Amino acid sequence: MDTGRYIELFLSESREHLRALSRSLLGIEQGGGDEPVEEAFRAAHTLKGMAAAMGYSAVAHEAHALEDRLESIRSGALAVDADLIDELLAASDRLHAALETSAFPPPEPDPAAEEGREPPAAEAVASPAVPAPEEDLAALLDGVDVGILETDAAPAARVLIDMAAPLKAARATIICRAVAKVSPIVSCDPAAFDDAFDGDFRLVFPPGADIDLLDAAIREGGEVKAVSWETARRAAPRRGGSRGVPAPAVGRRVRVDQEHLDSIAEAVGELGILRAELAALAEADTQVERVSSEMGRVLDDLEYAILGVRMIPVRDVFERFPRVVRDAARSTGKDVRLVLEGTEITLDRSILEDIGDPLLHLLRNAVDHGIEPAAERRAAGKPPRGTLLLRAARERAAVVIDVEDDGRGISRADVLARARREGLVDGVDELRDDELLRLLSRPGFTTAPSVSSMSGRGVGLDVAVSRVRGLGGSISLTTAPGRGTRFQMRLPLSLALAPALRVQVGGEDYVIPLNHVEEVVELNGAVSRQRGREVLNLRGDVVPLVRLGEALSCAGRGAETAAVIAGSGAARGALAVERLIGREQMVVKRFDGPAGTLPCFAGVTLLGDGRPALVLDPMSVL
Amino acid sequence: MGKTVLICDDALFMRTMLGNILKQAGFEVIGEAENGVEAVDRYRELKPDLVTMDIVMPDKGGIDAVREIVQEHPGARILMCSAMGQQGLVVEAIQAGAKDFVVKPFQPSRVLEAVQRVLG
Repeated sequence: MDTGRYIELFLSESREHLRALSRSLLGIEQGGGDEPVEEAFRAAHTLKGMAAAMGYSAVAHEAHALEDRLESIRSGALAVDADLIDELLAASDRLHAALETSAFPPPEPDPAAEEGREPPAAEAVASPAVPAPEEDLAALLDGVDVGILETDAAPAARVLIDMAAPLKAARATIICRAVAKVSPIVSCDPAAFDDAFDGDFRLVFPPGADIDLLDAAIREGGEVKAVSWETARRAAPRRGGSRGVPAPAVGRRVRVDQEHLDSIAEAVGELGILRAELAALAEADTQVERVSSEMGRVLDDLEYAILGVRMIPVRDVFERFPRVVRDAARSTGKDVRLVLEGTEITLDRSILEDIGDPLLHLLRNAVDHGIEPAAERRAAGKPPRGTLLLRAARERAAVVIDVEDDGRGISRADVLARARREGLVDGVDELRDDELLRLLSRPGFTTAPSVSSMSGRGVGLDVAVSRVRGLGGSISLTTAPGRGTRFQMRLPLSLALAPALRVQVGGEDYVIPLNHVEEVVELNGAVSRQRGREVLNLRGDVVPLVRLGEALSCAGRGAETAAVIAGSGAARGALAVERLIGREQMVVKRFDGPAGTLPCFAGVTLLGDGRPALVLDPMSVL
Repeated sequence: MGKTVLICDDALFMRTMLGNILKQAGFEVIGEAENGVEAVDRYRELKPDLVTMDIVMPDKGGIDAVREIVQEHPGARILMCSAMGQQGLVVEAIQAGAKDFVVKPFQPSRVLEAVQRVLG
């Protein structure tokens, strides 16, 4: 068989199964009952079959050994403890390594390496000695469906819901109801649609069903991107087993170079600018006006679609954290449960990729320094098992990600003492949360008595904080002694296109990204002075007021008429501007300002009339 | 003569916004309801071509209202209006007989597409 053309397919699907394997092994450890054991077994079993079909015997053997161990757990012959899970995770790592090596063999084929391959840890080999390839593959495959047995022509449709469509599970439900009016559905994979459903499903119909009618019914359900028909194949369930495993299918995504997406997004942004110019020219001509407004509508849809293409669920990054947290907890001898919430929330791909390391750092830090050892927790009247929560949520034009632990909290006294020693603070008795974060995120600042091997490495809090700010986001800290610590990241939905507020200061236009803006108020008599600073009375709350013209040293002649309330919590403040112009979609182009550029400029964008304007980062002004 | 619509939402703002989108597309808004009880009553009274139904409303929620309306009038064409994150409820509403859904914040083009599907 020419296996070359299947490698991509094989790899992407195998990786899904490996992830499922790792997830379910952790589930077994958490006492998840039979379900994770079954899932792990299915994953190992399917991997074995797939690897054998590709002729990757090393992979097949690793999978087979793992499957045997899982079978022993299933039958109750093997008791689950943390050591066993360590061993199984190590086996799954070996399986992963074997897989990558098989698929990307070193340039010089080296048969000796294959033969002399280190056998898995003695314990892990429950049964057979390594059989020679080929003839024993058949034995290995005993009981494995490889998916080549065709039955009668039962038509099957693979349906892809438009990536940009909201609530894909609800959409799939509508499609199934529409289809059921035309023909009974023999099976549906996945069998149930839940929040993890990605819009890719497969329906099998009875032999002889009218494909044309069915195709029309599916499309009539709405938001259908593609329907492809095939004859149903028996066996080898495409998704590593049966119902409910939300493992995405082969070919579900098209790989697109990030740069292409960026340039498309930029081009659309520029089209938007041209269209604004057109709208200005069209004022006198109703014909042109009609075309211009129609064009605006299409552009809106296009922008929306491009945003959709760039958005991926945070799950894609969150997925690797349970293993990381488990390993960190194991190495520090702590008992920690990681809870993931909001994994279906989507975020611009490039943002998501950039926050992986910062999140990793915060999680490890929480395990190392936040969550107490079980004995200490018990003594404090807390459950011995610590909880670490990683949660994503949409909030206005932003995505908020929380990393929250129920540990001991950060000691303000320790941080203050250290900061005094280093001469960083003077005459302060009590640190606010934002001051605490500012101190902790100074490069090299630590209060930990010993830097552990885990959180001492990689990116530090300083890097995490600057990475998030660099993305146009913000990060805040809340901590309470004995109760825990929460880091909150607030990120823009997209880097390429962002809603922004256009304001005028000193006669010039500036834009402020809306994800930082809480509200906009008129500046009337509510301004007063407190301790030498101007403040604004906002419905009883006092917030510091910064006159942007002064901050940017470009005060104009006009008086400020409005204030933009930006930031949140202690970092909230009001920016006084001369005039509010309105809301825009901005295309940000990052820039490296010449030396001496004020740090409050996050980039530059083109205004609707084609003129460039600076993008303000309100957080650094405040 | 445009098709007739009954808009059910507890927020005046949402009713106004949705009403404007539909009016601009040539629909005639013949009634509004602020809760599920009113929605059922007004449906009986007005027999509109299309109903837009919010999910979370006081007194009686949108899903219960869909159930009652569809039971009495199996041909009723109901479009659910949902916020992000209410997927489970939307699925329930569809199983109760709603024809399609739109997600807030409303994009006029998406609303009209969904309406076309419901009426189509």
